[in-house]
Amino acid sequence: MHEPSAQYKKRLLRIKVNGRWREDAVADGCMLVDYLRDTAGLTGVKTGCDGGECGACTVLLDGLPVLACVTLAVRCEGRSVETIEGLAAQGRPSRLQQAFHEKLGAQCGYCTPGMVMASEALLRRNPTPTDDEIRAALAGNLCRCTGYVKIIESVKAVAGLAP
Amino acid sequence: MTAAFASSRPGVPLIDGIDKVLGRARYTADLDRAGALVGRILRSPIAHGEIVRIDTARARALDGVIAIVTGADCDKTYGVLPIAMNEYPMARDRVRYCGEPIAAVAAVDEETAQRALDLIDVEFRALPAYFISKDARAPDAVLLHANKPGNVEREVHHDFGDIEAGFAAADLVREHRVSCAEINHAQIEPHACLADFDPVTGRLTVQDVSQVVYYLHLMLARCLDMDESQIRVIKPFVGGGFGARVEVLNFEIVTALLARAAGGRVFMQLTREETFITHRARPQTDVVLKLGMKKDGRFTACACEVTQRGGAYAGYGVVTILYAGALLQGLYDIPAVKYDGYRVYANLPPCGAMRGHGGVNTRHAFETLVDRMARELGLDPFAVRRANLLHAPMQTMNGLMVQSYGLAECLDVVEQASGWKERIGRMPPGKGLGMSCSHYVSGSAKPIHFTGEPHAVIHLKLDHDGGVTALTGAADIGQGSSTMVAIAVAETLEVGIDRIRVISSDTAVTPKDNGAYSSRITFMVGNAAIDAAKNLKKILIAAAAKKLEAHPDEIDCAGGIFRVGRGGQAMLSFKEVVAAALVDEGAISVKGSFTCPVEFQGGKHRGGAVGSTMGFSYGAQVVETSVDEATGMVTIDKVWVALDCGHAINPLAVKGQIEGQVWMGMGQALCEETRYLDGLPAHASFLDYKMPTIVESPHIEAFIVESNDPNGPFGAKEASEGALAGFPPAMVNAIVNAIGVELDEIPATPDRVLEAIVQHQRKVKLAQKKARS
Amino acid sequence: MSARLSEFQLVQPARIEDAIAAFVAKPGARYVAGGTDLLVNMRRGIVSADRLIDLSGVAGWGSIDADAEGMTIGAGVTIAALARDPIVISRYPAVAQAATSIAGPGHRNVATVGGNLCLDTRCIYYNQSEWWRKSNDYCLKNRGDTCHVAPQGKRCHAAFSGDLAPVFLALGASAEIAGVDGRRRVPLSDLYVEDGRAHLSLKPGELVASVHLPAVLAACAYEKVRARGAIDYPLAGVAVALMIAGGKIVMLRIALTGTNSRPFLLADVDQFIGKSVDDAMLHGVDRLVQRQVQPMRTTLAAAHYRRLAAAAVARRVVRRLAGA
Repeated sequence: MHEPSAQYKKRLLRIKVNGRWREDAVADGCMLVDYLRDTAGLTGVKTGCDGGECGACTVLLDGLPVLACVTLAVRCEGRSVETIEGLAAQGRPSRLQQAFHEKLGAQCGYCTPGMVMASEALLRRNPTPTDDEIRAALAGNLCRCTGYVKIIESVKAVAGLAP
Repeated sequence: MTAAFASSRPGVPLIDGIDKVLGRARYTADLDRAGALVGRILRSPIAHGEIVRIDTARARALDGVIAIVTGADCDKTYGVLPIAMNEYPMARDRVRYCGEPIAAVAAVDEETAQRALDLIDVEFRALPAYFISKDARAPDAVLLHANKPGNVEREVHHDFGDIEAGFAAADLVREHRVSCAEINHAQIEPHACLADFDPVTGRLTVQDVSQVVYYLHLMLARCLDMDESQIRVIKPFVGGGFGARVEVLNFEIVTALLARAAGGRVFMQLTREETFITHRARPQTDVVLKLGMKKDGRFTACACEVTQRGGAYAGYGVVTILYAGALLQGLYDIPAVKYDGYRVYANLPPCGAMRGHGGVNTRHAFETLVDRMARELGLDPFAVRRANLLHAPMQTMNGLMVQSYGLAECLDVVEQASGWKERIGRMPPGKGLGMSCSHYVSGSAKPIHFTGEPHAVIHLKLDHDGGVTALTGAADIGQGSSTMVAIAVAETLEVGIDRIRVISSDTAVTPKDNGAYSSRITFMVGNAAIDAAKNLKKILIAAAAKKLEAHPDEIDCAGGIFRVGRGGQAMLSFKEVVAAALVDEGAISVKGSFTCPVEFQGGKHRGGAVGSTMGFSYGAQVVETSVDEATGMVTIDKVWVALDCGHAINPLAVKGQIEGQVWMGMGQALCEETRYLDGLPAHASFLDYKMPTIVESPHIEAFIVESNDPNGPFGAKEASEGALAGFPPAMVNAIVNAIGVELDEIPATPDRVLEAIVQHQRKVKLAQKKARS
Repeated sequence: MSARLSEFQLVQPARIEDAIAAFVAKPGARYVAGGTDLLVNMRRGIVSADRLIDLSGVAGWGSIDADAEGMTIGAGVTIAALARDPIVISRYPAVAQAATSIAGPGHRNVATVGGNLCLDTRCIYYNQSEWWRKSNDYCLKNRGDTCHVAPQGKRCHAAFSGDLAPVFLALGASAEIAGVDGRRRVPLSDLYVEDGRAHLSLKPGELVASVHLPAVLAACAYEKVRARGAIDYPLAGVAVALMIAGGKIVMLRIALTGTNSRPFLLADVDQFIGKSVDDAMLHGVDRLVQRQVQPMRTTLAAAHYRRLAAAAVARRVVRRLAGA
């Protein structure tokens, strides 16, 4: 059985997740995606690839979209992480989430959390993005269902630029 | 049957969509796995060889290893067709591709499981391995399967009409050869399975990513030698399928075997690499296609030879090679069709069904040759298609029934929307337009496992709360089938969709359904849902009639209000009628079913069931491209596509499906391919498998054409596959239009395009030289 | 769950000297900046480390300083910060252009200039899982003794595919390297060696601290060819710095990435000085590129294609910069 190593002790990670501070014992080699899913129970954060290739695990780290699957959890000490679960208020979807729902930006829904978080980051810094700006901001997020057409429409619906 | 153009109804968001956008939808890997062991699979490092020895002693001795299973633990084959199940969940005496499962471990954690795999000793005696069809078919090649001489899994020879007379009657006969690379579904969710075996009751519960919950249930019983009644299979949210999960997969059975061996719960999630290796997607295909054409564009005959490199096991192979021939028909009027198909075994992961199953690569060969010949004859590509339209209702030579046919309208719509007439021949340098047509079945009219049961069954439950619960085995894998069921029930009952709750794919609860494949759900399950709702409505009307002291025929029901006659004074609300209906009866359960009549189940020739369907969807599209001749980079600027789906039950979802399928066709046409290096996958990541990103994905303008199929639910047909096959040929035709260079291979990767440009320039120079001398 | 990384200890020094000391103290240590290259490679088991030294907390590591002499870019500047820096955009637009084209937004927010310069070389036989490489008897770059790309040869042909290096090379950049013995400044081209297994000339413990760009009057641009519009590494990338006076070329530098085990400045371009940018000159550039690049079968795209594409892009960028 895997005995906890004396040499590589876990450390106490202090991290703000979706607005609430947490403290957890975390190994140095633990990826943020595994910490969020397995320790914090935030399974909205998805794993689609073997590292850094699909964007499904995109979360916001201090407001910037990053890939949780190639981010060491312990490097997020004292920082703020936002996941898809943090966007809703009192269980109600944010405008962006609602738009992804209504415009069918989500089909199978597996890329959706990453896609929504990358869109959220875009809209916070640029509330009225053009199609090309949306494409640039979502360039690292793969979707296999939609052909991206309705994803762009979803983001634009919130930007108030939809035709 | 005339088609109505487009649909002005907006449609409704998916009934499970809000769970997805909130991040609370639970996929297999998100389920509570408290106490679950971690399962990992040991995979073959060689492409072909005999297993001389497997020694698991060292691994078993490792602390934390709870169970190990090998091929010795399961002597039952599994597969798709009852006649072609030639695959074991773990190899027994021989491995036939790199990555084939050999053994598996359940351990307390990931590290221990991985260390245990490293401690399993396997000795092989290597055999020659074949990675292309030609090598596998060589006379002296070692057979992958002793009963398949020449390593040909299935040969098909079909001949309809007078092929020689057809070619003799043609003004122009041309033949060309195209090669389409193998591709993969690449659904974003990696494969995963959570299996729970209770050693006390002997029951097995499996939660899994399957599109075919019923077949999985069946195969688990077979491979674990269990009574079916002791098994339950549940489908949580599924992150896409596209055919990847349309047959039972080795890891599913292996996880269940591990759970039984461990006497508990085992969770297995495959890596992306393993998900690619599990494969079952579109085979590498060589097509030689010959077409006869009159000066006015009429087809006179078509001869087609298809060779599919199917991988190491049967899987869906026989079906795929039959589809490739059967779907030559049902789109256009062709007086004579000859088809020769060869499904070849090779030492690569087994291919299977993928969106557009079987039809895509032959359609590509056909539609690109039509354009070559149209150019030669000076005909407009639209005119050639229009010269060969079918007239519904009709039956094709190979016994396929065409009951509704909106292709003419599809052609009109995309011709107009793309500005084809004004723009073709006037495109700036490096830019081109191309078009193509395609079609697909709305469900295979003959199920794989013939049992005599209906093709689809739905249960509706109505109780004191006034909520209608639809129980369906149809697997919603993101395509929106549960929403379709809810709409079908709600519209038939004339109540709001909020009153309907859909429970899908739990074999302990929902009636058996064959699953999400061959675009069968809307047509078959939709019809069953309407049938069930009609049966429920009868009960409600009878109850209302009794309460209102009227004859049931007098009861008018609209908007959830029941009254005597239209505009009658006495009325009952839906809840009042439900209360009345429950009196003396209690909770109501009704059922609806649907069966494809035997006359729709295909021709009498061998293999004639494949391709048979109650209704074909039809698509036409125009693709606009730019080609950078210096680098060979192809850009898709825009797509206009029209799909005749009979009737759009949910126009929003139909548009989403049209966009998605066209885009998936674009991936195959432009950049996706699976490649192997001595049998090892060189594409098994999302970096190396080039699924298009949002950056190079164009705007797709989708139009719905409604031809109102006489047998479809509300007139509907399938809407998820019919337009896919049109993209690759429309793109290749557009590339020719842009730069005058023909491509014989897809995908049109920049290296292939540049090579074709260089070859073309060489040819042109040679011709000029000849002309001078 | 992700494949677990082998166990290691992460140390987070505040000063560069401490980072170097931490490295020297522990054989098998590695520096990590953004981690988008290293952690992926660690997940695949092609790189392992007992100790990771996190450079992100090092003081001054992430700053951009510009003056009349040029610009100094800290190795810890993220690619995203580089791409949106107003002075970079106005004075070195090609740098911003190259930065914007790297990987995807999620990578660029953490990946750094130093990391991109020191990007590991790549090969289809190397960037694979442990199972894959083991099944293939490993390779010269990792645990094996054969290069599957050129089995007869003695060297590893894995290709360098960073996007910033060619632009910096074309701009005449130098790198400041910090090590046990203090700091040294070298022309950026001296950082690289034509060997896929060891393509950096850094000595144990050394790291790139910053890059200095001289003030340049030349116009500069970068363009690359890749399969998709994002995420992908370049199959071939070309940066060109060009100055023309009176219709004649007075300065020309062409640097390439994606084709060799190192980014490199095209040699013999001085022959074009004094000439005008015309078809003959562009043909000459094409020939020079085709002769000097050494693409091997390290990518799924054909090696010969990378040669042709590099030449085509070089031709195009020169022409565009000349406004011809």
